[in-house]
Amino acid sequence: MSDFLTYLSNITLPMLQGMVITLSIFAVTFVCSIPLGFLFTLMVRSKIKPVKAFADAYIYVMRGTPLLLQLMFVYFGLPLLPFFGQFFIFGRFTAACIAFGMNYAAYFAEIFRGGLLAIDKGQYEAAKVLGLTKFETMTRVVVPQMIRVCLPSITNETITLVKDTSLVTVIGVAEILHYAKTAVNRDGNTFAFIVAAILYLLINFVITMVFKKLEKKYEF
Amino acid sequence: MEIIRVNKLNKSFGDHHVLNDISFTVNKGDVVAIIGSSGSGKSTLLRCLIDLEKADSGDVFMEGKPLIKSGVYPSVQEIREIIIRMGMVFQHFNLFPHLTVRQNLELAPKVVKKEEPLQMNKRCETYLEKVGLLERIDAMPSTLSGGEKQRVAIARALMMNPDILLFDEPTSALDPELTGEVLNVMQSLANEHMTMVVVTHEMDFARKVANKILFMDAGKILEEGTPEDIFNNPREQRTQEFLSTILREQSKKAKKKYRLKKYL
Repeated sequence: MSDFLTYLSNITLPMLQGMVITLSIFAVTFVCSIPLGFLFTLMVRSKIKPVKAFADAYIYVMRGTPLLLQLMFVYFGLPLLPFFGQFFIFGRFTAACIAFGMNYAAYFAEIFRGGLLAIDKGQYEAAKVLGLTKFETMTRVVVPQMIRVCLPSITNETITLVKDTSLVTVIGVAEILHYAKTAVNRDGNTFAFIVAAILYLLINFVITMVFKKLEKKYEF
Repeated sequence: MEIIRVNKLNKSFGDHHVLNDISFTVNKGDVVAIIGSSGSGKSTLLRCLIDLEKADSGDVFMEGKPLIKSGVYPSVQEIREIIIRMGMVFQHFNLFPHLTVRQNLELAPKVVKKEEPLQMNKRCETYLEKVGLLERIDAMPSTLSGGEKQRVAIARALMMNPDILLFDEPTSALDPELTGEVLNVMQSLANEHMTMVVVTHEMDFARKVANKILFMDAGKILEEGTPEDIFNNPREQRTQEFLSTILREQSKKAKKKYRLKKYL
């Protein structure tokens, strides 16, 4: 029994280190991609044609190509670019955050766009006749309602993000799955994979709870 | 004193000429009712007065300042300063669903006028009392009935101390038994000499509360006058037809209600 506990702690401790990396990638991506995503939402709705075209193209490319490919492109591909390659040499962690942030911004942009579509035009009119500026209308009236509409989809996307962080093993970032794979290959049993699964479930359990609380808060 | 002057206002949606050379004035203390069949341009006209629709040509002056002059609009900032002097009540209330009744009333004074909180709270309570909803001050809009929502919407408009209130079919989205409470509030505003322009299908209200009626047909003001002129001696045949149709329908509805009551 005590042998088992020793083994368990031997494989789990490094995986907890990996979990810190997983959580860091998750946190950086989440914090960057949400505002970036909203910016793209606004750009897609822009009346200025080139701005809208750029945002449309961005979302099309980001959603239309595999995240794994984008990850490899940022880490392995960009430094090989002629002339500019030297400016795009990133560390593993940074490359992972860039690829994830850019990819998830595209998905969040679409979620926010859907949320904005759900808001009645009467809300904009009421705000306008009360004298609110466009910016005040956005921050005081539109965005709070948009958040409520979007929350279930954001929860969904956030959980996907946690799981997608496992993709960064391909560029050698030492997160949960990286240590699990190492342990499984070394010891020849699947136990480490089960521990990894439990760790992902734990993270997503917390995230689900937090978003449930948020949904309650934004209920009206 | 003149509050609004509209001069030869025109607007088209594509080939459809919705407003055709509209001219009229609203003086301080006037209650103007705009009546006419659906599609005659009443709502579009009202929306042009507060810049929710852009007109193609003509003038609208609000207290002497041009909202549109010979079809040209001033800057966004100037427009905002003009429409801030006006209030609007919508057919579908358009309360902010994520804010409480109090927050709905206080949002614009706080954000736009940076009003001092204590004074603002007090005014908020005064206006809610006036529309009979002080006890619902912390309620969310989704928990209110249609009539209550519309009364909150009126109080919200009053919070900005407008010189004129525009009503776009304020009772059309309400169950018949709830229209009374909203019309009563509007009647009491009229008694306090609030200047109002009301697009309405409520002929009783138009007849009793308004001092001026505009009858619109196919984008034109076909007839204009006091309630006695319009209801008792309509000049135009279209006015007569419209009034006899709508009055017949309303009396039918009233009879139906009466019959239902008998069975209940």
